[in-house]
Amino acid sequence: MKFIRAVLAAITAVGVIASVSGCSGASGITHGETLRILSGSENEALSQILDECEKKTGVNIEMTYKGSVDIMQELKSGAPDYDAVWTASSLWISLGDEKHIVKHDESICTTPVIFGIRQSLAEQLGFMSEQVSVKDILSAIENNKLKFCMTSATQSNSGASAYIGFLYALLGKNSALTNDDLASPQLREQIKSLLSGVERSSGSSGWLEEMFLAGDYDAMVNYECLIIDANRQLVNAGREPLYAVYSYDGLSIADSPLGYLDHGDSKKEDAFKKVQEYLLSEEVQSEIEGTGRRISLNGVSAQNKAVFNKSWGIDTERILSPITMPAADVLSNALNLWQSSFRKPSLSVYCLDFSGSMKGEGNQQLVNAMKQVLVQENARENLLQAGEGDVNVVVTFDRKVLNVYTSESADADSLERLYESVREEQIGGGTDIYTAAKYADNLINENYNPSDYTAAVILMTDGVSENTNQIAFEKFYRTSGGDIPIFSIMFGSAESD
Amino acid sequence: MKPKIIGAVILAAVAAVAGIVMLFTDSTQVTALNGYLGGEKIGLFEDEEIAEYIKKTYHITFDYSRAGSLDMVTADLSGRNYLFPSSQTALEYYNEVHGSAKADEIVFNTPIVLYSHKIVADALEKQGIVSQTDGVYYADMEKLTTLILDEKQWSDIGLSQLYGSVCVDTTDPARSNSGNMFAALLANSLNGGKTVDESTISAVLPKLKEIFSRTGYMETSSSDLFNQFLRMGVGAKPIIAGYESQILEYAAENPAAYEKIKDDVVVIYPSPTVWSTHIYIALDDNGKSGIEALVDKEVQRLAWEKHGFRTGDYSSANGKIAVSGIPENVTAVMNMPSYNVMKKIIDELS
Repeated sequence: MKFIRAVLAAITAVGVIASVSGCSGASGITHGETLRILSGSENEALSQILDECEKKTGVNIEMTYKGSVDIMQELKSGAPDYDAVWTASSLWISLGDEKHIVKHDESICTTPVIFGIRQSLAEQLGFMSEQVSVKDILSAIENNKLKFCMTSATQSNSGASAYIGFLYALLGKNSALTNDDLASPQLREQIKSLLSGVERSSGSSGWLEEMFLAGDYDAMVNYECLIIDANRQLVNAGREPLYAVYSYDGLSIADSPLGYLDHGDSKKEDAFKKVQEYLLSEEVQSEIEGTGRRISLNGVSAQNKAVFNKSWGIDTERILSPITMPAADVLSNALNLWQSSFRKPSLSVYCLDFSGSMKGEGNQQLVNAMKQVLVQENARENLLQAGEGDVNVVVTFDRKVLNVYTSESADADSLERLYESVREEQIGGGTDIYTAAKYADNLINENYNPSDYTAAVILMTDGVSENTNQIAFEKFYRTSGGDIPIFSIMFGSAESD
Repeated sequence: MKPKIIGAVILAAVAAVAGIVMLFTDSTQVTALNGYLGGEKIGLFEDEEIAEYIKKTYHITFDYSRAGSLDMVTADLSGRNYLFPSSQTALEYYNEVHGSAKADEIVFNTPIVLYSHKIVADALEKQGIVSQTDGVYYADMEKLTTLILDEKQWSDIGLSQLYGSVCVDTTDPARSNSGNMFAALLANSLNGGKTVDESTISAVLPKLKEIFSRTGYMETSSSDLFNQFLRMGVGAKPIIAGYESQILEYAAENPAAYEKIKDDVVVIYPSPTVWSTHIYIALDDNGKSGIEALVDKEVQRLAWEKHGFRTGDYSSANGKIAVSGIPENVTAVMNMPSYNVMKKIIDELS
C-alpha cells in the first residue's frame, strides 16, 4: 500500500503538523486497478487489514489521510484526484457532496467519541458512575482538577463532535444549536475559559493518540477505538490505563462511511465494490471489531469480547444518545468561531529549509505551503485562519539560522508580510536541521509562556542534512523536557521515510 | 456445379457478415441513460437481474447520480436524460422551474412509515399514541405531533435510557422527499387531521417551523438516514420517517442481517399516512424510453418482491414477504397538500 503525504492538509493553524509515516509497495503483487481513497486518519489503524484487502481483491489501495473539514472541502470541489472517500462521520460527506458524486456509501463500523480519563483520576472525580454529564466533566476542568487533550474542531471530526457537545452542555440544551445561541456573550466566555484547559490540540485523532502516549496527560477526548488502542499500549508499558466515560448528554457516534466517487470510470467502480464488499464480509468485519471498532448493534461477538475491556469502563451494552448536530450554517459558524476566537491561541514556529538542495521544486513547494497557511484568504477556506492572540514565527535556515520573522497578530496584512518574507528569502548553502530546531525550541521557551499557547515547531525540509545530528538532537529534545512537539514536513527530493 | 459452389460460399459469407453486423448492432443499440435518482431506489437500479432484463428487453442501461427529490430539480441537468424523484411535488416543481416535462409517469408507490425500536414502540403504545391492529402498528399522528410540539422528554414517557426530547428524525424537508412528506403529515396533523390548503396553511406554519428548528442537521438522502437508523442504535435514532419499501428491500437483500434485527425494528404506519409516488420524469427523447422499461410487468414484479415498491399489480396482497407487521393494503391514507401549499412549507423550512 502506498501512503501519500497530504502536506497542506496536515498543516493546521493550531500548530500541529502530521509527519505521516510512509511505506510503499507492501504487497507489490497486484497489477489491478488502483483505488485512491481520501480518508480520515483514524483509518490508519486498519492498514494491515487494507494490505490484506489488496492481496485478496487484487485492487491497489492508495490512502491519503486528511482531516474531516479538508475532506468536506475536497468533495465540494469535486475530488478529481480520488476514487473513494472514507470519513469518520457521514455528516462531512452530506455537507461536502454538492456535486452529487458520492455513491454506494456504507458504514464500515461505528465508534463513539468519548472521554478517556486516567483511571485513578476518574475514580477520584466520581466519573465511574453511569450518569456523568459533560457539565460534570467541564466543572472538573474549570476547577483545575482535570486537564485534557483534544483534536482541533476545525480539522478533525472527533474534535468538532466534542466541541459541539461542550456547547450543548454549556447551554443546557438538547434541541439544535442556533446562531442566536452562538452569539450569547456568556456562552463565549464559558467556552473560552473551558478551552484554555486544553493541554494539547492536535490535527487528527490518530496523531492525538500518539501525542498522548508520548506525553503525560490526564485525559483525552477521542474515539472509543483509539482509547482502547491507547490502553493496550499503556498497559503494555506498565502505565495506568484510561477509563472510558460516556457522558449522557454530549457524545457523538462516528459511523465511518466508505463511499465511491463517481467520475464515470466503471472499472474503478468495480474495484471499489470489491474493496467495500471485502471490508463488509463477515470475516473482515470481525477483524475490524478486533481493533476496537463496533460492527453490530447486537453487542460484541464472543471472540472479540476481551477487546472491549469492561475494567477500562468500555461499555457496549449501554444505549448511546448522541447529540443533534446543528444545521449546516450553524455548524460552519461554530467552527469559524472556534478557529478565530474560542480556541487557545497557537504559537507556531516554522523552521524553513533554505539550503542549496531545496533550490527549485523543493523551494516552490515550501513557499506554496506557507502561502496556504499565512495568506488568510487561503487559510480561511480550510478553516486554518489565524485567531486572536496567535503568534506565527518563521525561522529560515541552511547550516545556520538565516533570519527570524515574527507576526504576533491575526491581522491579515501582518501575516501576508510574513509570507512575503518567505517568498523573497534567498537560498543559502548546506543543511543542519538540528541547529534550527533547537533554536526554535529555545525561542519559544525564552520569549513566551508555552502553557498559554498551543505551541509547536514545524520543520519544513527536504531532510538532506549534511551532518547526522539526529542523535544529538534527540538527546537535547529529551533533556529539554521535550514538551513542545516538533513536526516535520518533507519536500522536494525527500524520501518519505 | 462450380457457380453453385461459389454461390453457396458467397451466401455463407454474406450470412456471416450479416450475423456479425447483427451482433454489432445488437450491442451498439443499447442506450445508456443518465439521470438523478432518489437514494431509496438505488438498490433497485443496482439490481443486476433487473438491469439485465431491461438491457435485454429494452436495450437500455440506467446510470445515475444520487440526489434528493427536490435538490435534483435545481441540479445541473446537462448530460442527464431523466429525473426519478419520489413525489408529485417534485414533478410540479420541475414543471415550474423548467417548463412542462417531456414525459412523466408514476412508476411505483410506497407509503411513508415510521421506523422505530421495540422499546420506543412499547412506550408509545402505553401512552396510547401507537396501537396494534392485526399485528400492524399504527400511530395517531395528532397525538404524536402534540408530544413533539410540547417538547416532551423521552424520560416523560418512561424511556429514561434515552436522552433528549421526543422527536422523529427526517431528511431535510426542503431538499429530500421523505422529509418533505413527513412535514406535510405534521402540517395536516397540526390542522386537526385535515389536509392543509391555502386557507389553513398560514396558521400551521409557525408551529411546523418550530418543530423543525429543533432538529438541527438533517440528512438529504432517505437511504443514508435509514442506514444510520440500522447502524447507530436506538439512542441515536429513536424514530425516523422513511419509506415502507426500505425495510422490505433490506430484508430481501440481507435476510441474515434482517433476522438479527427483526425483533427490535418496528414499522409504524402513521394513521393516516401519505403515498409517496415515485414518478419518472423524462428530460429528452432518450429519457422517454426509460418509462416503458420501468412499467414493464416483470420489472414491476421484481420491484415489489426484491425492493418493496408497491405497484398497480403487486402489493403484499399477492406475494409473500419476509417482513412481519406489513399490512396487505394501506387504506388509511390522506391527500398531500397541493403544490402551492407545499411550496409554502418548503420556503418556510429552508
